[in-house]
Amino acid sequence: MQANRYVMRATMYGVGFANVYDTYLSPQEYVGTDFRISRETMRMTKLFDGNVSVQNFFQANISYTHNKVDNNNTFAGLVNWNYGLHYQFRITDNFKLLAGGLADLNGGFVYNLRNTNNPASARAYINLDASGMAIWHLKIKNYPIVLRYQANIPVIGVMFSPNYGQSYYEIFTLGNSSGVVQFTSLHNQPSIRQMLSVDCPIGSSKVRFSYLWDMQQSRVNQINTHTYGHVFMVGFVQDLYRIRNKKGTPLPSAIRAY
Amino acid sequence: MINNRDRKESKKGRAIRILTLLIPIILLLFIASSCIREDEYTNNPQGNFDALWTIIDEKYCFLEYKQINWDSIHTVYQKRLTADMSNYDLFEVLSDMLATLKDGHVNLYSAANQARYWDWFEDYPRNFNESIVEDYLGTDYRIAGGAKYKILDDNVGYIYYELFSNGIGNGNLDEILQHMAICNGIIIDVRNNGGGNLSNSSTFAARFTNQKTLTGYIRHKTGKGHNDFSDPVAIYLEPSNSIRWQKKVVVLTNRHSYSATNDFVNSMRYLPQVTILGDKTGGGSGMPFSSELPNGWSVRFSASPHFDAEMNQIEFGIDPDIKVDMLSQDEDKGIDTMIEAARTLLKN
Repeated sequence: MQANRYVMRATMYGVGFANVYDTYLSPQEYVGTDFRISRETMRMTKLFDGNVSVQNFFQANISYTHNKVDNNNTFAGLVNWNYGLHYQFRITDNFKLLAGGLADLNGGFVYNLRNTNNPASARAYINLDASGMAIWHLKIKNYPIVLRYQANIPVIGVMFSPNYGQSYYEIFTLGNSSGVVQFTSLHNQPSIRQMLSVDCPIGSSKVRFSYLWDMQQSRVNQINTHTYGHVFMVGFVQDLYRIRNKKGTPLPSAIRAY
Repeated sequence: MINNRDRKESKKGRAIRILTLLIPIILLLFIASSCIREDEYTNNPQGNFDALWTIIDEKYCFLEYKQINWDSIHTVYQKRLTADMSNYDLFEVLSDMLATLKDGHVNLYSAANQARYWDWFEDYPRNFNESIVEDYLGTDYRIAGGAKYKILDDNVGYIYYELFSNGIGNGNLDEILQHMAICNGIIIDVRNNGGGNLSNSSTFAARFTNQKTLTGYIRHKTGKGHNDFSDPVAIYLEPSNSIRWQKKVVVLTNRHSYSATNDFVNSMRYLPQVTILGDKTGGGSGMPFSSELPNGWSVRFSASPHFDAEMNQIEFGIDPDIKVDMLSQDEDKGIDTMIEAARTLLKN
């Protein structure tokens, strides 16, 4: 049995509050509901004497939001994939701090249902994130729970954005893409994703409840945007052991699922 | 016993842990103080007035070209505001303010009304009579996409395209041009065509050129200043790789040929076998964007200007090659002066 083959996998479903703002589409913030799913795996690696873990976090959300007087709506969606490594500082047997970096890929859209030639705005950005995590295994009256807090902050990246008054017709039909990919860092993309979760064993299963505070902001090409999400999520955690089959030998038919 | 090396490593480990904690805290504090939020305007007459004035001030693309003193407009129309004015009165003040832009692409939309500036065609001869066009088409005309078409009895093809929002695909154009292959020439009537999609304009025009042709330029605003514009980007008309018309073409225009239609006429006039006949077009060369006010009223405005191939503005229209107006005595007899002038031109 090898430590790097134990995998924690969690699939979560959530709903919460969304606030979407994009001055390319409207000077107003739109508020409404966010629906989200996420899937995360985490396991140890053999790096640095087995002190480094790898996290693979995928999430997708869609929101339906309304302007202040509620006579117009937007749809917005984003797919986000984080993949990276954390060094684990084991402070005690039950408490550890993790610090590392993540590749943070994002793609999505905001669609304003009333606008004419600027009905939608694309979201596409890639970042290198600084990431920190605290994991605490504790017991409340002999009931074991796991608390986790994680924060990911984009430090450096690139982002697609139309120029201030540029139409997507000019970018994609006429092919003028000058200046539509910009360098980003903390000064023009002060963003953070934070997650607080608690794992509770229920029977033979482990249920995870989490609160995700997703704050994506940008100030690029004089276009201001933000997408705030406060999302409550619930799902199951599975602890798996990876079996590698380098030779590709088929498993005995008696134990194969398919 | 703890030796020096262990002590050093323990200090190093502690330093790393402190740093590990401190860096996220510093970053968190930085992010927390860097919220990017909306500029809030109160939903009252003054707030809505200021929001609209600011949208135009920062995003409208013709303030300098039209030599409009937008600050002075603020002063003039501000005086007409009162704190307790009705929505109808506010709408009237805002509409009047927008009318100073003299732009058919500028509108304000409330649930009750739509503010518009239509002087660019309402103040000029109509030069179009729909019932006469229907007489020319008869009842046996064909419809392909947004185009109605027929071969007139003197072997001239006639295509009436009433709105560039109505799609016209390559399949439609193949059928139309194949049907008209026997004709001496064709008339493309875009009178009263108020515009629509630029892609329909270029798809249609691509059937009349054999070579890549420079037809104009586009710019966009790069910032809030009235003169913050990008460098011009050339717009080329690429020849279609399907059926291309090689004989003469007359494009019929009037003051209501606007926006994407203005763009179509601008492309067509650079092609050697094409003649523009009729009245000056209505213009409308600024690609419109939308925005909104705190009370939910939607506003549309020109955001990105198009120019012709010599970098001239075409916001106020394009002159025809041959100026022809509808004669009232012809109109009384059910004759379309402009269609007849085009037929004569194509037969010579």
